[in-house]
Amino acid sequence: MTKKTMLLVALLFIATPMLFAQDANTAAQTKAWTAIGAGFAMAIASGLCGLAQGKAVAGATEAMARNPGAIGAIRIMLILGLALIESLALYTLIIVLK
Amino acid sequence: MQETELWLTKIFNDYLAAPGNWFLHIAGLPTQARPWADFITMQVLVVAIIVLLAAILRGRLSFDRPGKLQHIFELIFEFVHGQTEDQMGHGGVKYMGFFATIFLFVLISNLIGLIPGLEAPTMNPSVPAGCAVATFLYYNLVGVQANGILKYLAHFAGPVWWLAWLMIPIEIVSHLARPLSLTIRLYANMFAGEKVTMVFLGLTYFAVPAVFMGLHLFVALLQAYIFMLLTMIYVAGATAHEH
Repeated sequence: MTKKTMLLVALLFIATPMLFAQDANTAAQTKAWTAIGAGFAMAIASGLCGLAQGKAVAGATEAMARNPGAIGAIRIMLILGLALIESLALYTLIIVLK
Repeated sequence: MQETELWLTKIFNDYLAAPGNWFLHIAGLPTQARPWADFITMQVLVVAIIVLLAAILRGRLSFDRPGKLQHIFELIFEFVHGQTEDQMGHGGVKYMGFFATIFLFVLISNLIGLIPGLEAPTMNPSVPAGCAVATFLYYNLVGVQANGILKYLAHFAGPVWWLAWLMIPIEIVSHLARPLSLTIRLYANMFAGEKVTMVFLGLTYFAVPAVFMGLHLFVALLQAYIFMLLTMIYVAGATAHEH
């Protein structure tokens, strides 16, 4: 690492306690930060879940188009895959709602 | 202690508090003034519905002129039977009783949540947990019964013996994650469906959340199917013979 990088990393180490030291957090502040964190968590989970399900549906429709004889089997796999991916986003929703 | 009760729970608590407290007593839990919870009375209702349907069906079974109820149950039977054969081949049909039970129970539990005045018992985390634990015990017991306990434990070690040190922790964790994921999947879908409907009811006019209830209906059917399908996959994995 160059000297500049080392200097920046050292400054970061020194500054960390100052950045993260909190005065007595009121209950309202904790609630506010929890809500913001929950919003971010749910957004990330839903976004990634959307991407993954999109990929699953794309693969499934392409396979069905290539091989119309296997539509039944592919449909079962698609539904199963979508439900499993959906459940990952739902785990985050449970944390958010509780 | 819950704030509001459904009308069925109110009836149970007013007239049947003593049997409810007896159940709590033999479980070693402290007795309460109003022991019946919403989800317990709803489960009792689901069981009563299924038993009633089966009793009515039994009187009307006919080979030459099947009635509507028989047609419906034949559809359900064909569906579960077809899925079982898809997943497990011919030998899987002897486990079909459990799959059909899980499917009907979860399906009717989810669906009565859409009826006003009733609540889906699967909205409470205990009920999906109970179904998931039942599935977990069932597929392990069936695996031991089909393969013998030594061979069943040996299949945790994976395909080759020199990977066993890696495979065993991975297999154990993944097996323990199965009832957890079954529980949370079913519970979160039902809970989120009701919550979303309630939130939108507070936000807009009266009939708009009906769209969400339509989505919830589809999700209820799908989640019951997924629960049954995953149960079949786990049983298929447990009873797989290495031929």
